[in-house]
Amino acid sequence: MSVLPAEELRTADRTEGQGSQRGRAKAQPALQALPTVRRRQRGLIAGVLLLLLSALGAVLAVNIHVANSQYQVVQLTNQHRDLVHQNQALAQQVQFLESPQSLSNSAVTVGMVMPATAGTFDLHSREIVSSAEEASNSQVPSNFVGAPGYSQPETAAADVAEQAEAAPSGVLGAGALHTLTETPAGENGAGSQETVTRAGSALNGGTIPAPDVTE
Amino acid sequence: MARTLSLRMRIGLAIVLAMLVVLGGRLFHIQGLDPAGHAQDAVSNRLHTVELPAARGNILDSQNRLMASSADHYDIVADPRLIGEYTVADEALGLQRPVTIEQTAQELATILDREYSEVLEALTAEEIHYSVIARSVTPEVHQQVMALRAPGVYSEPVSERTYPAGSVAGSVVGFVGSDGPLEGIERAQDEALTGEPGERIYEVGADGVRIPTATYEETPAQDGQDVRLTIDQDLQWFAQEAIAAKANEYNAQWGNATVVDLREGSEGEILTMADSETVDPADPAATDELFRRPLALTQSFEPGSTGKSVTFAAALEEGVVSPEDQFTVPFRLTVDGETFRNARSHADYQMTAAGIYARSYNTGTILIGNQLDDQTRYDYLRKVGYDAPIDIGLGIDGESYVRPPEEWDRRQPMTTQFGQGYEGTVMHNVQLYQMLATDGVKHPLRIVDATIDPDGTEHPVASEPEQVFSPETSEEMLKLMEGVVEYGSAQGAQIEGYRVGGKTGTAEAASQTGGFDGYTINFVGVAPLDDPQFLVSVTVHRPAGQFGDWDLTDTFNDIMTHTLTSYDAAPSEEESEAYDGFVGERQDYPW
Repeated sequence: MSVLPAEELRTADRTEGQGSQRGRAKAQPALQALPTVRRRQRGLIAGVLLLLLSALGAVLAVNIHVANSQYQVVQLTNQHRDLVHQNQALAQQVQFLESPQSLSNSAVTVGMVMPATAGTFDLHSREIVSSAEEASNSQVPSNFVGAPGYSQPETAAADVAEQAEAAPSGVLGAGALHTLTETPAGENGAGSQETVTRAGSALNGGTIPAPDVTE
Repeated sequence: MARTLSLRMRIGLAIVLAMLVVLGGRLFHIQGLDPAGHAQDAVSNRLHTVELPAARGNILDSQNRLMASSADHYDIVADPRLIGEYTVADEALGLQRPVTIEQTAQELATILDREYSEVLEALTAEEIHYSVIARSVTPEVHQQVMALRAPGVYSEPVSERTYPAGSVAGSVVGFVGSDGPLEGIERAQDEALTGEPGERIYEVGADGVRIPTATYEETPAQDGQDVRLTIDQDLQWFAQEAIAAKANEYNAQWGNATVVDLREGSEGEILTMADSETVDPADPAATDELFRRPLALTQSFEPGSTGKSVTFAAALEEGVVSPEDQFTVPFRLTVDGETFRNARSHADYQMTAAGIYARSYNTGTILIGNQLDDQTRYDYLRKVGYDAPIDIGLGIDGESYVRPPEEWDRRQPMTTQFGQGYEGTVMHNVQLYQMLATDGVKHPLRIVDATIDPDGTEHPVASEPEQVFSPETSEEMLKLMEGVVEYGSAQGAQIEGYRVGGKTGTAEAASQTGGFDGYTINFVGVAPLDDPQFLVSVTVHRPAGQFGDWDLTDTFNDIMTHTLTSYDAAPSEEESEAYDGFVGERQDYPW
């Protein structure tokens, strides 16, 4: 632009003012007071400019922060969604394993049989109402009801297994997966206490590990 | 010099100002007035609306175990207008590598396990902007598809049903097709299970990332209600195994085992409705059509001797007979020119009414039933629920037909007394014994316990009890039923420690072509009789073999014993109250 910077204009004015002072001192007396006003104005302008700049800077910083946080939010949302899906897949696996026919199959594989008649006592008359019978080895539950079908077995089951392998110890740990897929041999009394404390320290008392934000 | 500069500057400033005014005016014209709708177009181009699907409610059993649930799945869809060649950064080459539509289709086909040609067709369809490539894929597959970053390929979240219990109560739970629920609770309770979908509106930049400070509106979805059934999943499984074993043993067409709760406060709740074969809701097509819906409602048959209970209860209620009244019961009896026989030949017996019921003699039943007129007996049949559809909350009407007395043929006045000449379902049969066991009060059978809001508020399903028989009649009927198990036709139903009562039934099954072929056999029992808590009904249709070969009491015994122990029912403290069957000291007359 063809406009002179304000500073130059001011100096030009000042030199012009000083030159004419000698010749026409009486003609323009009011001009004397101006330089002091201008000096004050300069400070004000600088202050305003500084304020403007800092405000601009602050707005910029806040904006950059908001934008960055937004990306972080998106990332965390995705991570949350992934964890929800992982949780869903694991919950599904547990539900399928909890179904009566799966439990029955697991029980048969570890050699359990159907219970025989239970004995009952009458505590008032101190009499045996019915006597108990010994369960017979041949009383294996029948297997007419098919095991529940996974809707998409290969993806759901396999992927969770991989995820769980890599997860820290605790609920998602490889040990937990082992108890899910391999039926426990009935010795969980001693080991369970230890698992709980380990899970407690790694999961801060919760059941889901804290999200990893380092990626 | 200064003057000319100032003048030029002023002119320049004026021109700049004028231009600014023009530009400002134009900006206001375009952005503010927006006559051509460009600004609106731009916003709507950036605006992205995503439907937030409402989670479909779960179906739970009586112990809140999951029977049907929903998982997040995705539909993979394409906008063919946006599909084209695109480039991806190839890390190995360090270059941008072009990807053609064919390559995209090939990669999608591999990930989605679809035909290449189908995928390519979906991607290149003309003049549409929405074509579905794959429905309901798992989150893992969805991630692989999104990792391709192919422009024009989107995903839409959908809810996929999972059935953790598989075919345990499969026909009760029902299933969902691609266009909506098809059967069972999924269909009957669809309104409660479905929620209100929500919506999320936001602006996206050209790179597809949301613009942080721009418009963002979200209407949250209203999730559907959970539905809790009266079914006990574990007991259901046990009963399904037991009835399947029985149907298998007799090579029958079908079998059904039903357990009903009679305990105070939950009378009429169906704990188990087990069929010999049951659909797995995850794969309904794999099961024969007959077994996709509950047999206890879809199959009607002549009840046979279990229907004698209506005649006896009506006679007791009307006061025309009492359990110890004496009758001379012949093997053969001719009434109005029609002859009726018992199942096996025997001499004339001096019997009580209780004995006739226990041994299930047709001739004796006619002697008792004929003390009531046809219309009265017909009215009682209707009172207990026959000749009217029965709905237990599944949206399926169990059918029953009884002709009115004026349409009866010459035999029907007598045959209807022992459960022939009319039809009903297992549920009709069960409803009859339910009211006989609970002081004569009919508690409508039901399978939905409550609907549960997402915040946990429960809405129990109400039922209206109705007094049909007097408590005295009910009490006498239980004593008659005890005789059946103690010395009558169902001695195999005895359970050590508990007083058990019941009634057997056998009827000829109507053939498709007219006439009869095969039989329907059933047994309904109640225990413990001093305070009836559970009712178990076992029915088997068209078993192979001859009349008299079959026995259902072992299956009843297994299921009832399991139920009593599962629910910690206390053994009976009282002695049997069954009446003597024969007049005099001797009770062991041959069959």
